[in-house]
Amino acid sequence: MSLWLKRLSTDRVRRQAREAASPEAGGSAGPAGRASPLAVAAKRGNVEELVAVDATAERLGLRPGLALAQARAMRPELTVVPEDRGSDERLLDGLADWCQRYTPLTAVEAPDGILLDIAGCAHLFGGEQRLVDDLSERIAGFGFTLRVGVASTIGTASAAARFSATTIVEAGAERNFLSPLRLAALRLPDETVSALARVGLKRIGDLIDLPRAPLAARFGAGLLLNLDRALGLEPEPLVPRLPVAPYVAEMRFAEPIAREDDVLAVTERLAARLEPMLERRHEGARRLELALFRTDGAVRRLAVATSRPVREAAHVRALFVERLNALADALDPGFGFDLARLAVLVAQPRPPEQIELTHGDHPADLDRLVDRLGARLGSRRVSRLVAYDEHLPELAAGSIPAHAAVGENAGWAAFRQYRFAVDLSPRPPRLFARPEPIEAIAAVPDGPPVRFRWRRALHEVIAAEGPERIEGAWWDADDGPVRDYFRVEDSRGGRFWLFRAGLYRAGATPSWFLHGLFA
Amino acid sequence: MTATAMMAQPGLQREAPSREPRGGATVLDRLRHALRAIEGTEVGRSARSTPLGIACIDEALGGGLADGTLHEIAAMREAGMAAATGFALALAARSPGPVVWVAEDMGLIESGRPYGPGLDDLGLAPERLVTVAAAKSRDVLWAIEEALQCRGIGAVIGEIRSADIDLTTTRRLSLAAGRRGGLALLLRSAPGREASAAATRWTVEAAPSDVAAPFPTASAPTASAPTRSGAMALGPGPARFAVSLARNRRGHPGSWVLEWNRVEHCFDLASAHREPVAQAALDRPRQAAGA
Repeated sequence: MSLWLKRLSTDRVRRQAREAASPEAGGSAGPAGRASPLAVAAKRGNVEELVAVDATAERLGLRPGLALAQARAMRPELTVVPEDRGSDERLLDGLADWCQRYTPLTAVEAPDGILLDIAGCAHLFGGEQRLVDDLSERIAGFGFTLRVGVASTIGTASAAARFSATTIVEAGAERNFLSPLRLAALRLPDETVSALARVGLKRIGDLIDLPRAPLAARFGAGLLLNLDRALGLEPEPLVPRLPVAPYVAEMRFAEPIAREDDVLAVTERLAARLEPMLERRHEGARRLELALFRTDGAVRRLAVATSRPVREAAHVRALFVERLNALADALDPGFGFDLARLAVLVAQPRPPEQIELTHGDHPADLDRLVDRLGARLGSRRVSRLVAYDEHLPELAAGSIPAHAAVGENAGWAAFRQYRFAVDLSPRPPRLFARPEPIEAIAAVPDGPPVRFRWRRALHEVIAAEGPERIEGAWWDADDGPVRDYFRVEDSRGGRFWLFRAGLYRAGATPSWFLHGLFA
Repeated sequence: MTATAMMAQPGLQREAPSREPRGGATVLDRLRHALRAIEGTEVGRSARSTPLGIACIDEALGGGLADGTLHEIAAMREAGMAAATGFALALAARSPGPVVWVAEDMGLIESGRPYGPGLDDLGLAPERLVTVAAAKSRDVLWAIEEALQCRGIGAVIGEIRSADIDLTTTRRLSLAAGRRGGLALLLRSAPGREASAAATRWTVEAAPSDVAAPFPTASAPTASAPTRSGAMALGPGPARFAVSLARNRRGHPGSWVLEWNRVEHCFDLASAHREPVAQAALDRPRQAAGA
């Protein structure tokens, strides 16, 4: 199924104008706005020209491709808006997402089309015609001009949408349907179309029975490929915009729902439906997405991640409770949601569990805690520490999201071995994300500081140990100068980890930094 | 079983180590217990506690820091946060199971982030730690409560920088701790002035270390710097903490200077003179008990 949004740009501008006007002026701005012609202009080559026009402008004889100056001369009342491709693309993506209410396989056909794979879905809506009616009515309700084509190949469907009044082309009737259409319907580049026209080939029917080798030799293999694809002789898979979830459960509502409690109750029921599906295949969800389809066409998506495969509906609900709590703005249901879909984006094997009799450790409980904290605070904020094989202190240890942590010791066993092997001097339990510059005075060029000033307070050093020289890898120029680390104690008992970056040389003054705090 | 029998049970356990000299104290103890039972802070509390490993402090605490209750550890001032952190981490490390450290973003910027290689020195294996960074103190408190309600967590360290935490909040936290029996440590950047439901309140300050004492490492110290004079000839000794127990529900307050032994991973009582310290290290209570 192919959707053609012929006036995407101008419809977008109109919709925005209507939204901006509706709070105060009500309906009065709408008709007035509709009366005046609207066009979208952009620079093509060296000329400002029209790239899209609305229905009124088209009736007045304005066409895309007309120079802007000429158009203004013809129709002084023309409203011109600069082109905004980014917004158009976003809008098209949003609409494609919205179309997921009909099928999980939707794709964007730039610049103004959407493709839907409705094989196996149409009967859910009472047949193809009913589906087309339902979809056309809703999209027209959003304020878009829409043409729909349904066929068993992408090429034919898109030709039906753009070049013919027929909506549904039955399977097997592609050849008869395509024959009378102009060659442009084959989604060919403009040069190919005009080159074919020069040799007298104007309609698709002219091409179908011609010998193939000379055509391919003269006009390239793309021509025949497109033809074969449209006729269904060559497969053309639809590449969906979003990955298709392995497990999906959805629920439609006769009356839109808006309350958060209702959303959560629905989520739990959907999760309960997914549970047996997951269980049958011995899998659990690692990433879940709840898509809420608003009545006005917006789709709200909420995703949660888990640290081990889960199936329990109550657990899923608990995660979404935190996720909803964490939303900066409320859920904003508008006029309500009329469709909710819970999808498992990532599933992992999880064997059936034995019921535990012992009350030993509870790793599952910790994972559940990590999930709950992550759902509300963001999964990057809940982390575990890992050790890396690096020399620079700030690179030697890091943190990764706890739900992604793998393995039991995350490199610490290796670190301990290394530490005992080289008798590593103590490291502070707290390290600054970036070393803080300090003013320090050293008695001898290579020695520890005698006193230093950190955060405006002066510290008298009474004991120091060092230097411990730490250098980055020789092949990495970004690691900066050599560092000499000192462990110092000030007169009040504060213990610090300082370093001097660089060496005292003639003409060079190294800088001092405070990197960590000892207990 | 009657209520009095239930209350008498922990009372008897407590009498054995402390050996109260006066008879009036046991009556007082019972009354205190009855009060706690009414307050709900000790209901369902496991009798476990986390000992510090120093006889006189553990005795004051009635066997150690009680699990399933809230303990407040405050730095004397903002700059002393590192010492308070070290003390809290060392205590948390003594509990079994994973440790959750919840902190505000601001705290992590001000005092630095947890650094795995340095945690080992405090006896806490870095793989046991789960760190949580929250943007606001409200989220910190929520996360602490969540973590305390999770089974199998050994200790939760909540680092709070806001000036005051009201009684309701601390009461909530100690109730949450009581449900699962984990050790709840509230780490604060300044001692709180307000009323609190915490079982103990500590203030911790870094004390000057014994500079002349050899730093315990497996072999000789690292490359010594050229010509240093006086005290600078020696590096800082083992970390020392001046802790004072400002509030203690189970006994009397007190203050001590503790020295951290990074090899044995335990606290020793430090004193002004060097020799007794060395002797104390020989008859460590943990070793005497055969632990």
